[in-house]
Amino acid sequence: MTETPRRSVKSRLAAPAALVGAVAIFGLVAFSSGPASADTTTTTTGPTPTPYGVGSSGNGAAGTTGSTVPGAQPGTVQQTPTAISAVPSPAAAAKANAPANETGIYYTELPSSFIAPGQALFAANCSSCHGAEANGKAGVAPNLQGLGAGTVDFWVSTGRMPLANTSVQAARKPPRFNRIQTLEIAAWVQSLTPGQGTKVPVVHTAGADLENGNTLFTLNCAACHTISGAGDALAEGAYAPGLHLASPTQVVEAIRSGPGNMPRFAPGNITNTEARDIAAYVTGVLQHPNNSGGVGLGGIGPVGEGFVGLLLGVGILMLFCFWIGDRS
Amino acid sequence: MIDKSLNWLDDRLGFAKGGRTFLDKIFPDHWSFMLGEIALYSFVILLGTGVFLSLYFVPSGHEIVYHGSYVPLRGQHVSEAYASTVGLSFDVRSGLLMRQAHHWAADIFLGAIAVHMARVFFTGAFRKPREFNWIVGTLMLILGIVNGFLGYSLPDDLVSGTGIRIAFSIIESIPVVGSYLGFFLFGGNYPGSGIIIPRFFTIHVLIVPAIIVGLLAAHLGLLVKQKHTQFPGKGKTEHNVVGSPMFPTFIAKTTGFLFVSAAVTFLLGGFAQINPIWQFGQYEPYQISYAVQPDWYMGWLDGALRIMPSWEWVGWGHTLPLEVFLPAVIFPGLIFNILIVWPFIESIYTKDHEYHNLLDRPRDRPKRTAAGASMLTLLFAVFFASSTDVMANFFQVPLIDVLWFFRFFVPLAPIAAYFLTLKICQEMRAAEGIGKRKHALVVERSTTGEYTTTASPVRPGDEHEELEAIPVPTFIDTTDPELATAAGVRRVIR
Repeated sequence: MTETPRRSVKSRLAAPAALVGAVAIFGLVAFSSGPASADTTTTTTGPTPTPYGVGSSGNGAAGTTGSTVPGAQPGTVQQTPTAISAVPSPAAAAKANAPANETGIYYTELPSSFIAPGQALFAANCSSCHGAEANGKAGVAPNLQGLGAGTVDFWVSTGRMPLANTSVQAARKPPRFNRIQTLEIAAWVQSLTPGQGTKVPVVHTAGADLENGNTLFTLNCAACHTISGAGDALAEGAYAPGLHLASPTQVVEAIRSGPGNMPRFAPGNITNTEARDIAAYVTGVLQHPNNSGGVGLGGIGPVGEGFVGLLLGVGILMLFCFWIGDRS
Repeated sequence: MIDKSLNWLDDRLGFAKGGRTFLDKIFPDHWSFMLGEIALYSFVILLGTGVFLSLYFVPSGHEIVYHGSYVPLRGQHVSEAYASTVGLSFDVRSGLLMRQAHHWAADIFLGAIAVHMARVFFTGAFRKPREFNWIVGTLMLILGIVNGFLGYSLPDDLVSGTGIRIAFSIIESIPVVGSYLGFFLFGGNYPGSGIIIPRFFTIHVLIVPAIIVGLLAAHLGLLVKQKHTQFPGKGKTEHNVVGSPMFPTFIAKTTGFLFVSAAVTFLLGGFAQINPIWQFGQYEPYQISYAVQPDWYMGWLDGALRIMPSWEWVGWGHTLPLEVFLPAVIFPGLIFNILIVWPFIESIYTKDHEYHNLLDRPRDRPKRTAAGASMLTLLFAVFFASSTDVMANFFQVPLIDVLWFFRFFVPLAPIAAYFLTLKICQEMRAAEGIGKRKHALVVERSTTGEYTTTASPVRPGDEHEELEAIPVPTFIDTTDPELATAAGVRRVIR
């Protein structure tokens, strides 16, 4: 009707508009996929902390032996070449198996002192389904004999075992056991069938060929795990898990043992060097993506982008229309 | 000095008369009339950023070895198109900002067109005499979607290459001519003879934008010629236009809005990542990433493809892949044709062949509003069906269940939306006092505890009802104190 009430409506609208803007910016930040690497030129893998490595296990024994246990930080391994405990020294193993070490991966034999405590842990936590001799129970749990320590280490260290529920696929969760306990269980299962199955790898990602890892990941892994490693749903309730928590050891163990629906890649398909390159690419580039150009929007591609474009882009502009236009 | 040179020009070009008409053009003031401007200004931003990008982009499928600054790609064999796009992102100053702003502007452009179109549809602004402008607008929408897809494909990355592969299969699914069309466009069987990137580039930067500019000129020319529609209200009739003149009121507002649009687009371009192609890698026909979707405006086509059962028809030595042909060719063809002919369908159905300059309130045309809501529901349903995998992963339900949900949801939801909207509109129309001035209610409690509600008496000066039109003026009237109360509001006769 007159000027005064219209103007007051506009000034009243300013506060909600500012609020919506603040919420929008907050949402934009919340969409972020994680730490963004600011440097566009150096995406080499330094020693990357493994989420479930020894350092984070909180076990006292792990503190003393941690640096020599497979799956620990590769940088730490190199800094302390002399072994303190019963765990075999990687440096000694490297001397014994020099050509293998050039690949960045060698497979360790777990000490025999691990077997007895491993059997106790297995009997208490695993045998109710897998049986006292780890030979499985028909229709309940698979036979573990012959799968090797690396397979067991993968399932237990990623928290998939012990199983949370009997859904289609075991879900990743915080592990029940610390690094030493996990390897003890693995050592006992390995001792049932010596020399068979996948051994526990020790992976040095420093000096890996990221370009090669990129190529191999795109060729072999992206079809399920997606090109950004975010993972996605597969048929019949199965899914390719996201790789953002995987450690280099777990990546190599998965490649070698083929957990669940994943194919198993033998050294004839993917050599040790190539497996190391893939592990370095996953833990170095995919877990720390170069998110130049702003927040990463979850790495799920145009779905997130469409929401932002429509809700923030068109939405904010519509609010401006509403602000400067007449509303009667 | 300025006067003199302007006079010199006017003597030769005679623009003063047209200029006067233009400057005096009246724009009715309603916020929903500015939605089309978002699209207009996004297009301006698209042209500007696109020119910048074209200076650095190399439209070639020729294979080279990447030596740029993104380490994980170094030494890989990539196409010049891909290498130059990664180079644009990392090695060209402000290149990534421009590339992302271009991409966001495209998303906003089509979103704004959709919203603008909904406004035009639900208010009946497409009716006689504006059917042509509705068709022109629909054509721009189609061309915008096509050009968005082409631009998305140009970087030759793994995700967009998957889209090109799907596009080839869609073309191939057309009976009889499909294979020939596909071979013609790609220069042979997929992936073609390496000419698809330069071809897409020419279409994307030259042919389609030129057509859009032409259609845009027609769109705005018709707008000026036919004058703007307006909502019914006090002093607004079928025969006048009430609003702000182009100069000085509207020009200030709209120029400001251009800057606002540019600001929002470039803020998104600077702070929100879009299409990080360096993470995807070069497209190779034998490689694929899972979780691939097209940009949002293609999502409804992708969704239709995803939920279609795998039907095909075989006969006379030929296969008709209905699972591709129906959702990817017939379905969008039907949608676009319905959009284009809608004004004529409606006028035949309503037998309304009058001129309309006053807009409808959506509730006053329940069937049209219900039809529009139904169409929007259909498009949104198939749109969401294009993220079946993301939903399955996010909500941790089996993918097949999500798929079957959408197979029922897509056909059923539009029907439900139609009747729900129809009912809501009818209820709103039937309700008393909607749109009328509200009166305060007095609630009283009696001594026995009973509550009664009575309307308060009308306050002095509030006797009139809000929507009662006053008599139609038949002349330009800027002096009538009652008609020209708001500063800068003017009215002209159509």
